[in-house]
Amino acid sequence: MKKLFAAIDVGSYELCMKVFELGGKTGVKEIDCIRHRIDIGNDTFHNHMISREKMDELCEIMKGFHRAMDTYRVNDYLAYGTSAFREIENTGAVLDQIERRTGIRMSVLSNSEQRFLEYKGAALKSGFERYIQTGTAFVDIGGGSSQITLFDMGHLVTTVNLHLGTLRIRTKLRDLEPVYSDYEVIIGEMVMNELDYFKELYLKDIEVDNIIIIDDYMSAIMEAIGGRPEGHITAREYKDIMKALTVKAPYQIAAKLHIPEDNAAMLLPSAILVDKIINMTGAKDLYLPGVSLSDGIAYDFADRKKYIKPLHDFGDDILSSAANIASKYGSFDLITSKLTDAALIIFDATKKLHGMGARERTLLNIAAIMRNVGKYVSMSVPAETSYAIIKDSEIMGVSHKERIMIATIVQNSYPNNISYEAFKSLEFESKDEIIMIKLTAILRVATGLAKNTAKSIRDLSAQLKDKELIIKVTTKDKMLLEKGLFSERTDTFEEVFGVTPTLLVMRVNA
Amino acid sequence: MKKNGNNKTNDTIDLRDPKLYINRELSWMQFDERILEEARDTSLPLFERLKFLAITASNLDEFFMIRIASLKDMKNAGYKKPDIAGMTPKMQLNALSEVTHDFVSGQYSTFSRMLLPKLMDEGLRFVKHHEDLSEEEKAFVDAYFKENVYPVLTPMAVDSSRPFPLVRNKTLNIGALVRTEENDIEFAMVQVPSGLPRIIELPKGTDGTRSVILLEEIIERNIGGLFLSYNVICAHPFRVMRNADFTIDEDEADDLLSEIEKQLKKRQRGVAIRLECESGIDKRLLAILEDELKVKDNDLYFINGPLDLTFLMKLYGLPGFDRLKEKKYEPQFPKYMEPDVSIFDQIKDHDILLWHPYESFTPVVRFIQEAARDEDTLAIKQTLYRVSGDSPIIKALAQAAENGKQVTVLVELKARFDEENNIIWAKMLEKAGCHVIYGLKGLKTHSKITLVVRREEDGLRRYVHLGTGNYNDSTAKQYTDIGFLTCAEPYGEDATAVFNMLSGYSEPAIWNKLSLAPLWLKDRFLYLIHRETEHAKNGRDAHIIAKVNSLCDIDIIEALYNASNAGVRIDLIVRGICCLRTGVPGVSENITVRSIVGTYLEHARIFWFLNEGKEEIYCASADWMPRNLERRVEILFPIENPKLVDDLKHILQIQLADNTKARLMTDDGIYIRITPGRNQKVGAQKTFMKESQTVAGSREARKNERVFVPEEAQTEDEEVLKI
Repeated sequence: MKKLFAAIDVGSYELCMKVFELGGKTGVKEIDCIRHRIDIGNDTFHNHMISREKMDELCEIMKGFHRAMDTYRVNDYLAYGTSAFREIENTGAVLDQIERRTGIRMSVLSNSEQRFLEYKGAALKSGFERYIQTGTAFVDIGGGSSQITLFDMGHLVTTVNLHLGTLRIRTKLRDLEPVYSDYEVIIGEMVMNELDYFKELYLKDIEVDNIIIIDDYMSAIMEAIGGRPEGHITAREYKDIMKALTVKAPYQIAAKLHIPEDNAAMLLPSAILVDKIINMTGAKDLYLPGVSLSDGIAYDFADRKKYIKPLHDFGDDILSSAANIASKYGSFDLITSKLTDAALIIFDATKKLHGMGARERTLLNIAAIMRNVGKYVSMSVPAETSYAIIKDSEIMGVSHKERIMIATIVQNSYPNNISYEAFKSLEFESKDEIIMIKLTAILRVATGLAKNTAKSIRDLSAQLKDKELIIKVTTKDKMLLEKGLFSERTDTFEEVFGVTPTLLVMRVNA
Repeated sequence: MKKNGNNKTNDTIDLRDPKLYINRELSWMQFDERILEEARDTSLPLFERLKFLAITASNLDEFFMIRIASLKDMKNAGYKKPDIAGMTPKMQLNALSEVTHDFVSGQYSTFSRMLLPKLMDEGLRFVKHHEDLSEEEKAFVDAYFKENVYPVLTPMAVDSSRPFPLVRNKTLNIGALVRTEENDIEFAMVQVPSGLPRIIELPKGTDGTRSVILLEEIIERNIGGLFLSYNVICAHPFRVMRNADFTIDEDEADDLLSEIEKQLKKRQRGVAIRLECESGIDKRLLAILEDELKVKDNDLYFINGPLDLTFLMKLYGLPGFDRLKEKKYEPQFPKYMEPDVSIFDQIKDHDILLWHPYESFTPVVRFIQEAARDEDTLAIKQTLYRVSGDSPIIKALAQAAENGKQVTVLVELKARFDEENNIIWAKMLEKAGCHVIYGLKGLKTHSKITLVVRREEDGLRRYVHLGTGNYNDSTAKQYTDIGFLTCAEPYGEDATAVFNMLSGYSEPAIWNKLSLAPLWLKDRFLYLIHRETEHAKNGRDAHIIAKVNSLCDIDIIEALYNASNAGVRIDLIVRGICCLRTGVPGVSENITVRSIVGTYLEHARIFWFLNEGKEEIYCASADWMPRNLERRVEILFPIENPKLVDDLKHILQIQLADNTKARLMTDDGIYIRITPGRNQKVGAQKTFMKESQTVAGSREARKNERVFVPEEAQTEDEEVLKI
């Protein structure tokens, strides 16, 4: 029997629940989509709390969602709040109240998690993989901000968050009160301010041929031109539609495209943003896969539960994203690469000892990749500067908490003596602390192996023997420095795992 | 005959010119006149004619309560905006007063001069006045009065200390002038109890003649006994019609339900808009009534016969006269269904078209009943507009909820005249555990749609019923309607979206198959008409056939005029109101309008577009009226299965070929009955009855055949099938 799954997206201006059927030939199939417009963002962006009226309305709708879930007898559900909820001060209390009143347990996604899920939803559509073989800008338009992710040759190149969102633009427009005919110019200017900066920083080395767009309202455009269920459209066709649209008031757009007037008002900022990106990049093809956060949540769930075969390696994207940040700070070099190798080899060799899984391995991998980013700012206090950079960098697919965890691991990989107090924080549960300590222990051992001379390392392996972890290095150098420093880096490992790492250097001729 | 479009004249003619339109109220009166014609049609069985006359009367009552009342409201409010045909409310009221007065005299001449003598010929004596009773009969009615009537009467006298009594809407009353002991003349009245039978059969005459008399005559005869201390000078029946078309200000009403309940109570006290009294009524009595009820001469109707002819419907039911009635037709088992197979399996196998009442409505009821009992059913969602008194659908829905299904029912409280009934059902369903919703503010939910969600072996499957008629098993025996059952995914998705929308959630980004009013339905119709116009302009054959109950939307009519001018052939089958004029040069030369009045009330809405040979056909819950297209939730759905498309086309073709019950609108805007002449007689409704009987008959025959197939042959058959 197929599983039924509900994904709830509590957005800034809309509540949406989609019910999916997972498994079988269809993989992920949408069964129902219930939406209700509610402007929560307006409350939280200004006052950092949800008003009572909005809360009542929210709970009423969520109760309706609950009823619909009962109707379908869904097996699982996930409910997430996004940007509007990120702005709330007393998140825990609000989530608790919602659960008590509606029976729905929800949590809040960080921006990068949200974008990753949305991206995942799109990436699992059949058209995606084909597009990203050449330069592609993946534009995820949200209420408060938009995320542009660049792909080339099938890989993620970089991702950046722009302060351009439909709701944000609409709010600004409301203040300015322009006439409809000026909309295009004003929105265009707002958009270009942000985009120029983006172009300067990221578009130098990549030629963007395609634009993939994620947006709640743009699909109406596809509908309007008809017969495009797949969501493909050329930039030229898009331009023609824009020409017809921008001279119209929202109610006229609504009538022309057969969409609700509210949607029409939301559509224009998105449409102009995309138009400007086309101008800036010279992209020729557009792809609107028509997925939303709810689809991403479902795809992610189905992927994790193995209801579908993944078409794309998402772990790779997370690492590319980390590597791109590292190279931005000039620290994606051979040392980093050796450090990463060493850390992962030790991790894999000691699986029985630490009992950690794939996700923890990814965190370690990112920590190793990003360990030295702080040196770009300061050679003397890299622990602190690396911590700060990692904490505030967007890494695609990594949650806010995980990012702090990585930053903490990196920070504690530097000093000779560490205090376990450093892993304690209100944000972490005790299991998080243990993970961090274990990963720090491994990373510290790895750093002992990858110093300046690391370039000469030919081969590296690790093996667990009784109470010893034997790390064998084949090199043409003497590795004096490593040998000397190695023991300084192993104390944490010994304390945590009760096993002593031993370095075995095999010299070969150059 | 197709005529070529003449674009030159089109440039100079304003297609919205009021001259090109017929006033909708006058057009409606023409419809009632067509029914009156049926009552006068000597080729019909006598009792059927009685029924038609009864229908004209109840129709007219409704027309007064809603349309005339609304016009009066407008006039009183000083509203002067002319209608589609350029008439202000005042002009319309004046015109209608004349037409309705003529109409009423037509009704009564039909009754007295045509039908009563015929009844007498057939052995049924209708005693018009109690004075005509024989001595035995007098004794009989007096005893009847004493025993059955007197105990429930509430006579009321009016004097300076007692106010004029409330005369209830539509009730029949007897007004009297009485002389007091002090020699004063006072007004007195008594309501003819609506709880007692209006027709009382008298003992059979010696020659076997049966006689009937009306209740009010019996009361009139005994009125002296009601006002014992007075001397009755005269007594005459009268009847008052009041304004019923209230509008609910939803912004003001916190709770829609309680507001409607309040309005229902108020309705009794609406303003009088029509006073009917016996012709020959005492002038003093009339003066009092006119004065107290504030009725003007225009709204006064002198009736030469019994008031309120709807009693003829009861007379129709009098046992023993079957020979004077049309043979009763039993709705047949539907063509696309099998009796003993699960309805879900059948729908999974093929889409099903239902053509009521030729085909039975029972499968639709069974659809809900089966879903209610079925283990795999998760949810049932349905819109209810008007349900029958003892609705099996309501019972099935309640049962489903009790069986743990999620049942969502949209009950449209604002369905005219049915509010009380609907409130009762709504409350009952809620009690049973159904999730009852009341639709969208300011919009009546007129669409007829049911969704059953099942969790099956290979995933979730949605079964949808869409219809042109209400989920009402009793009207389904009298109204012609189309029903459609499918489990095709695009319909299922849309149906889900419809109920989400009706529950107050946002409209979906995309509709697959359905077009909804008030969102895009009108645009969709205009687009379809316009597309046909373009085809004609490009020199292609272009043809539209539409069957609706009413056509009075100016945008649609203008689009049709434009299409006609471009050379589109347009054949309209319009049962009731039609504001469009045919045969106007440079406007509507290519348009025909016909109307069919038959045993069944024509109710299906079907729309066919030639579309360059890629024909499209749709059914809808909506008419081409502004209220349907703009102020109601309505659904238009396409039928795409070629077999079903052929069936629907066949329905339209037979209706167009009808030459016994159809009337054609002439260039003067009047309707003339089509006669077969030398051609073969075609009666659409008769044809459909026969066809359904033939299908059902051959199914029966097949079934019987099967019983006698020898066993050997069966195995042989099976083997053949295997290969």
